[in-house]
Amino acid sequence: MAERRRDFWWSITVLAFLAVLAFLVYPLATVLVTSFTGEGNRFVLADNYHRFFTHRYYYSSIINSLYLSGLATLGAVLVGTSLAFAVVRYPLPGKTFLRTAANLALLSPPFIGAYSWVVLFGRMGLVNRLLGTFGWSLPTIYGWRGILLVFVVQYFPFVFLLVSAALRSVDQSIEDAALSLGSPPRRAVRTAILPVIAPSLTAGALLVFMATMADFGTPMIIGEGLRTLPTLMYGEFINELGGNPAMASTLGSLLILVNTTALMAQRYYAFRKAYNVVCIQPLKVRRISAANRAVLSVFAYGVVGVALIPSTTIIISAFMPTRGPVMYAGFSLQSYQSIFHLVPRAIANTFMLTALAVLLDVLLGVLVAYLLARRRSHAHALLDVLIMLAYAIPGTVVGVGLIVVYNRPPILLTGTWIILLVSYFIRHLPYPVRSCTAMLQQIDVRVEEASVSLGVPPFRTFLKVTIPLMFPAILSGAALSWMTTIGELSSSILLYSGPWATMSVAIFTEVFSNHFGTASALASILIAAAFVPLFLTYRVLGERSALGM
Amino acid sequence: MTRVRVEGIVKRFGDTPAVDGVTLDVEPGQLFTLVGPSGCGKTTLLRIIAGLLEQDAGTVRFNEDRMDDVPPYLRNIGVVFQNYAIFPHLTVGENIAYGLKARRLPADRIAAKVAQVATLVQLEGLVERMPAQLSGGQQQRVVLARALTIEPRLLLMDEPLSNLDAKLRIQIRSLIRTLQRELRITTIYVTHDQEEALAISDTIAAMDHGRVLQVGKPWELYLRPENRFVADFIGTMNVLTGRVEAPGQEREESVVLTDFGERWRVRAAGARGQPISLGVRPEALQLAPGGNAAEAWNSLQGTVTEVVYLGAVVRYQVRVTENVDVTAEIHNPDFSAIHAVGDRLTLWVAASRAIGLPGETGRA
Repeated sequence: MAERRRDFWWSITVLAFLAVLAFLVYPLATVLVTSFTGEGNRFVLADNYHRFFTHRYYYSSIINSLYLSGLATLGAVLVGTSLAFAVVRYPLPGKTFLRTAANLALLSPPFIGAYSWVVLFGRMGLVNRLLGTFGWSLPTIYGWRGILLVFVVQYFPFVFLLVSAALRSVDQSIEDAALSLGSPPRRAVRTAILPVIAPSLTAGALLVFMATMADFGTPMIIGEGLRTLPTLMYGEFINELGGNPAMASTLGSLLILVNTTALMAQRYYAFRKAYNVVCIQPLKVRRISAANRAVLSVFAYGVVGVALIPSTTIIISAFMPTRGPVMYAGFSLQSYQSIFHLVPRAIANTFMLTALAVLLDVLLGVLVAYLLARRRSHAHALLDVLIMLAYAIPGTVVGVGLIVVYNRPPILLTGTWIILLVSYFIRHLPYPVRSCTAMLQQIDVRVEEASVSLGVPPFRTFLKVTIPLMFPAILSGAALSWMTTIGELSSSILLYSGPWATMSVAIFTEVFSNHFGTASALASILIAAAFVPLFLTYRVLGERSALGM
Repeated sequence: MTRVRVEGIVKRFGDTPAVDGVTLDVEPGQLFTLVGPSGCGKTTLLRIIAGLLEQDAGTVRFNEDRMDDVPPYLRNIGVVFQNYAIFPHLTVGENIAYGLKARRLPADRIAAKVAQVATLVQLEGLVERMPAQLSGGQQQRVVLARALTIEPRLLLMDEPLSNLDAKLRIQIRSLIRTLQRELRITTIYVTHDQEEALAISDTIAAMDHGRVLQVGKPWELYLRPENRFVADFIGTMNVLTGRVEAPGQEREESVVLTDFGERWRVRAAGARGQPISLGVRPEALQLAPGGNAAEAWNSLQGTVTEVVYLGAVVRYQVRVTENVDVTAEIHNPDFSAIHAVGDRLTLWVAASRAIGLPGETGRA
C-alpha cells in the first residue's frame, strides 16, 4: 500500500496545512516580522521593543495584563475548585441545577458580562440609581476591580467543569488508602486527591489565563481607559492619527509570547504529571453536619447566583423602557423594535457567518482528527501543534495579522465577509479537532478493521462506522465552536467593514453610543442563540458528554 | 476449502522483528492454532494474513493465489477480534448483515442468511437488540456470526475467548469447534492459553520471539516437545540435567548420568560426555515410600516439601538435592498414595516419558 500515498487523506493533510499556514502561521509570522521593522519597512532590531519597555504608556499595558490575568486565574481557580469539591463531595440540594447553572454562565461572551455589570452598577446603573434615592452609593465598578469581577465570574465555570470531571474519575480507594495510612482527611485531600486532579486543575487555570490575556471587550467596556495588551494593540492599530502597525505588532508579539509560553508550560507539566486513573468506585459523598451543609449550600448557590446575574440582567433589561443609558421600570418591546429596524443586517451576518464557520470547522475538524488519531506521523504531529496554536493566540492578534497580510492584491480580503469567515474558521477549528480526537482515542481501531475485513473499503468504513461512532464528539465540538464564534468580538471589531458588521460589533458600538436598550436586546438574542445548540446537545447526549473538552 | 501457505514472513516494528521469518502450511479445513506468550508475534502474523498489516518480506498464499497485494476488504476473510470489535451503533441483526450489505445482496437473501446464521450461533430472538444490551458471551456470538455470514474462505480468530469467564469460555470454545467442523472453514486461531490450544486445535504452531519453534498435533507438542521453550510453555515440565554416558543410535535410548547421581535411559541422542536436559511431565512420575530405589533405572529419591491435595489429583513437591526440585502428580490417589511433608519418597519414570531436550533452540 506504500505506493498509494496520494490518496484522499493525503489531500486532506495538504488542505489542512494550507489552511493553517495561510490563515494562521503566515499572518502571525508577519506580525512577528513587523514588530522588527521601522519606518519605510526597514529592519530595526529592537527599536520597537526598546520603545515599549521604556515608555510607561506602553509597558504599563503588559503589567496590567499580567496582573489582571494572574489575579483572575487565581480567583477563578479558588472559586471553581471550591465549588467543584462542594458539589461532588458533599450532600448539597439541587446538584443538577448547580451544574447546569455553572454551564449556562459560560454562554454569554465576556464583554456582554462586562456590559451587564455596567447596567447594574455603572454610573447610570439600576442599582446605583436605586441606592441614590436613599443617598447611598457604591464604590465604582469601573477600572481594574470591575475587570477582575467580570473575569472571575465569567471564567470560574471552566475550572469548575474540568475539576468536577476530574474528581468524578478519582477512585474512592485512593482516599481510603491515604486515610488508612494515617493521613487526616485534610492531608488526604492535599496529598492524595489534589495531585491526581492537578492536570485538570492546571488545564482550567491555563484556559482562564489565556482567555483573560486575550480578552479585548471587557477592559474596553468596564476598564475606563485601563490599558491592557489587547486594548492598546487595538488602539495602536486603529488610530485616528494613522495607525502604528509596528507597535501594534510588537504588542501582538508579546501577547503571542505570553500565551504560548503559558500553553507550553501547562502541557509540559500535565504531560509529566498525568496519571492513568482507573475508577471503579467514584469518591463517596461525605456526610457533614446540618450547619456545615447550610454554609456550603449558601456558598454554592451564592457563587452560581452571581454567575447567573449577567445573563439575567441582559434578558430583563432588554424588555425595559430605555432612554440612552438609563433604564426605567416597566415592560417594553421598544428595544427589539429598534434593533430589527436599525441592524437587521448584523443579525443576519452573524448567523450566516457563524453557521458557515462552524460547518467548515466541523468538516475539516472531523477529517483532521481522524488523521491525528489514526495516521500518526511527524507531519500530523506538527499539524496538531499548529492547530492548537489557534487556541492560544488572541483574536486581536489574528485580526491584525489577517489585515496586514490580505489587505493588498493578489489576495485582497479586507472589506469582505470572507476575512471574517477566515478568522472565525481558523480560531475555532481546535474545538471539533480536540473533541473528535479524544473520542477517536476511545474507539477501538479494531471496530474499523472488522468493517474492512467484512468487505467495506477504508473510506466507506470511515463513513459507515467511524462517523456514526464519533457523532457525540462531532455534536459537542460543533456546539462549542458555535458558542464561541457567535459572540466573537476581538477579531470582528478589526475585520468588519461597512455592511459586514456582526451582532457583537453592533452591541459594542451601541454600548459606546450609550444605547443600552438596543445593546441589551441584541445581547439577549446572542445569549439565546448560544443557548439553543448547547441545550440540544444536552438533550441528545446527556449532561456529561455535552462539554467533553 | 482454502489452503493457507505463509512463506518467509518478516515484519519489523522499528528495529525489533515482531515476526522473524515464519513459514507455515495450513491444511484446508483445519483449525490451526498459533500459541505463544504475549509479544511472540502471533497476532502480528494473523494481522498480516488478514491484510490489516503489511509484511516487510515474504508471501501469503490462499490456495494458489498470492494475496500480498490484495487489500483486506477483498480477501473475503472473517476476522473475530479479542475485544469483539462489535459495531455498537448497529443492532445485532445489522451487525450480522454488515458484510452482506457491503456485497450488495438483495434484502430478502440478506434477511434469510441473517436468520440462518443467528440460529447457528444460538442468537434467535436477539436480532433486534443493541449490542450494549447483550452479555459478553452473546456479543462474542454476534461477532462470530458476523464473520461467518460472508462465507469467508478463511476464518481468523484473535484470542476470541480471553474476555469471557471460565464457564463461558468452554461453552463458546466448543461452539467454535463444532461450527468450524460443520462448515469446514479453514481457521487460524491465536491464543496465549496453551490449554485452550490443546483443546481446540487440529494443529498447533508454538511461537516465541517472532519464530515458529514447533508445529504438530497437540499431543506431539505435549509428549514430544522439540525444545526447551515448547516443553516449558505447553503444560508443566520438570527439567533435570545430566551428561550423556553411553549414546544410543538415532531414536534409541541413551544412558545419561544425572547431576544427582542416578543413571537414566532416555529418548535422546548426544555425544559421550555432552551435557543434556531431561524433561519429565509431573504425571509421568510414579512414586513409592522409602528412600531406596525400587527400580535400577530412571529413578530419584527425595523428601516431600509440599503437598497439594485436590481430590482427583495429589501434587507433591519433592526436593532431590539442594538445587533440584521436581513436581509429581498422582491421579486418582488412594489412601496408600497420600504422603506428608518430610516423607522420603522414591520416584521413577518410564524411559519413553523421559525426553531429551536439546538446549540450543530453547531459551536458557
